[in-house]
Amino acid sequence: MSVLASRPSLRWAVPLGVAVAVFGVAAGATALRASAEPSLPSRSAAQLLVDVQTAKLDALSGTVVQRADLGLPAIPGRIGGSGSASLTSLISGSHTLRVWYAGPEKVRLALLGTLGESDIIRNGPDLWIWSSGEKKAQHKTLPPGAATHDPSDVTGLLPTTPQEAADKILAALDPSTVVSTAGTAKVANRAVYELVLAPRDATSLVSQVRLAIDGTEHVPLRVQVYAKGSTSPAFEIGFQQVSFDRPGDENFQFTPPPGTTVDEDKPDGSAKSGPPARPGDAPEPGDAPKSDGGMKFSVDRPDMAKPDASGIAPQSTVVGSAWTMVFVARVPQDARSGNGNPLGAFLTTLPHVSGSWGSGQILRSKLFTALLTDDGRLLVGAVTADRLFQVAADPAAALK
Amino acid sequence: MSVADSLPATGLPIGVPAALAPRRFGTRFFRSELWLIFGRRRNWAGGLVLASVPIILAIAVKVSEPQPGDGPDFISQITGNGLFVALAALVLELPLFLPLAVGAIAGDAVAGEANLGTLRYLLAVPVHRTRLLLVKFGAITVFAFTAVALVAVVGSVIGLVLFGGGPLTTLSGSQLPFAEGLWRLLLVCLYMTACLAALGAIGMFVSTLTEQPIGATIAIVMLAIVSQILDSIPQLSAIHEYLPTHYWLAFGDLLRDPIATGQIGNGLGLAWTYTVVFLAAAWARFASRDVSS
Repeated sequence: MSVLASRPSLRWAVPLGVAVAVFGVAAGATALRASAEPSLPSRSAAQLLVDVQTAKLDALSGTVVQRADLGLPAIPGRIGGSGSASLTSLISGSHTLRVWYAGPEKVRLALLGTLGESDIIRNGPDLWIWSSGEKKAQHKTLPPGAATHDPSDVTGLLPTTPQEAADKILAALDPSTVVSTAGTAKVANRAVYELVLAPRDATSLVSQVRLAIDGTEHVPLRVQVYAKGSTSPAFEIGFQQVSFDRPGDENFQFTPPPGTTVDEDKPDGSAKSGPPARPGDAPEPGDAPKSDGGMKFSVDRPDMAKPDASGIAPQSTVVGSAWTMVFVARVPQDARSGNGNPLGAFLTTLPHVSGSWGSGQILRSKLFTALLTDDGRLLVGAVTADRLFQVAADPAAALK
Repeated sequence: MSVADSLPATGLPIGVPAALAPRRFGTRFFRSELWLIFGRRRNWAGGLVLASVPIILAIAVKVSEPQPGDGPDFISQITGNGLFVALAALVLELPLFLPLAVGAIAGDAVAGEANLGTLRYLLAVPVHRTRLLLVKFGAITVFAFTAVALVAVVGSVIGLVLFGGGPLTTLSGSQLPFAEGLWRLLLVCLYMTACLAALGAIGMFVSTLTEQPIGATIAIVMLAIVSQILDSIPQLSAIHEYLPTHYWLAFGDLLRDPIATGQIGNGLGLAWTYTVVFLAAAWARFASRDVSS
């Protein structure tokens, strides 16, 4: 005390020291976790791929964090955004999901919004989609035998789990890809192998995709997509916390609470199966405008290429394959007009481009490029703009 | 109440250093602080304002039922369960009213005494300066909980009267028994108290810098608002998790089934860090300051 009494300025060392200690411990723990190379027997890329494909996942629960930094230009009214609990908002910002999995018959995904939540719950033949903001529940009775389906069919509405995202990337694997390993790392406090996939085609905007595969369970725990010329992932989905213990059955029970609007879908599957894409379902009121028009972002969702999934394209096709696949669709004229349509207003802000293929407007982001031609076609792909222009001139993409 | 506690402090001979005075761990000083806060008419008026929000909200919803998805969060859930009046009112008051209430008390803590000229008498009692800060902070924390609980209790009571109780629907869509719903509401109140107490610690530090309590209060409210503005700018996402208000709305995680602990843990950790750092800063500033008023 006597030192402090004679030198009062020394007292300031206490709050400073506390601040430095707290943040230092936090940062040091992160750095230590990142740098500590867990000791796992080395495995080749091929072995890892087989491990992943043969991994038998009995049960899992945990928290998944998804981040997207696609470098999109500012969109009026924002599409998606952090903290939104709308299932269609996953394309931008950071999102947290909770996952419970106890076999393909019992699956639950919860997308956590700031003061809201959307759930997809499968329990036996029942499939529920719940949205707390709208107080709406969608119910679908799955036909018997659906249990033998791949679980990603049920949860395939979104690329939500690392398992599913990895499956989609592995499906795209063919001679177009350089596969290598990048040693070991730690994800969600578990030792993982890292598998690196890099496209050979120079027109792809993706520089590499890194998969973190659990060292003992062989389940993908994290997927990162890096764009060309970027050192941080443009898209990332990974477990923050994971447990392979079987989650309790109570997590899969769902009964619509009183006052809920319940949509019943027929078991034949003729009814629409997508999540409700309705403006105003997000907790933030200004968060609404969704791309109900032609602007579907198919970068991480190859299944969107199916015309019935997007529901808007009378004609559509896919040009190219694997990494440089370009999705081409005809856009309804009303989706492009600017009157009262936030999407139309947004389109008018996009730069015009023209060439031997015609003219149109272009949207560039880190991971994908979209071209809306003046003759009403939308081209989207994880490729450079030049490649899109080539495709636009390609007769295969003429949609006539 | 110990014997030492009831010793009149003025019974000490003049010139005895504070360190030689009998150690007193009694509650008398703390109780007098609480009396200072809860006995003031202006604080009662502030409490009335806080309590009026859930009442207005409940009556407005009773008169005109909102559609699902309309208006601020939780409003459409009110008709299902009266406890949501309390939650919706807390959501409405969290950005400004509650920080303002805590800021008024925290800004007043040291600067108010200095402004009135009572600080030197208090220190001459004698009260050790460190103890004075700790007692003041304890009183701020009690006030923060009282303010939150006031909104919650008034909201619950009027909600239960107008809309009834029964099972509480969680954000996950499951239903909790009423008692469990009350327990979750208490957890929400405690979480908010921790967040507001951190703001109070920052406020008490600001209060030691000045002799103008109103200036300290304005600074704290500005800090809370600036923090919320910065939190809403996506380009600044790198600093978001260090902003004092960043995890305030994480209390929603207490209303899920099962409770999501990640954000709550981060929020409590951040609040605790801010509390300790700024209490230490207040101590560094106040213990070495010349008190002349």
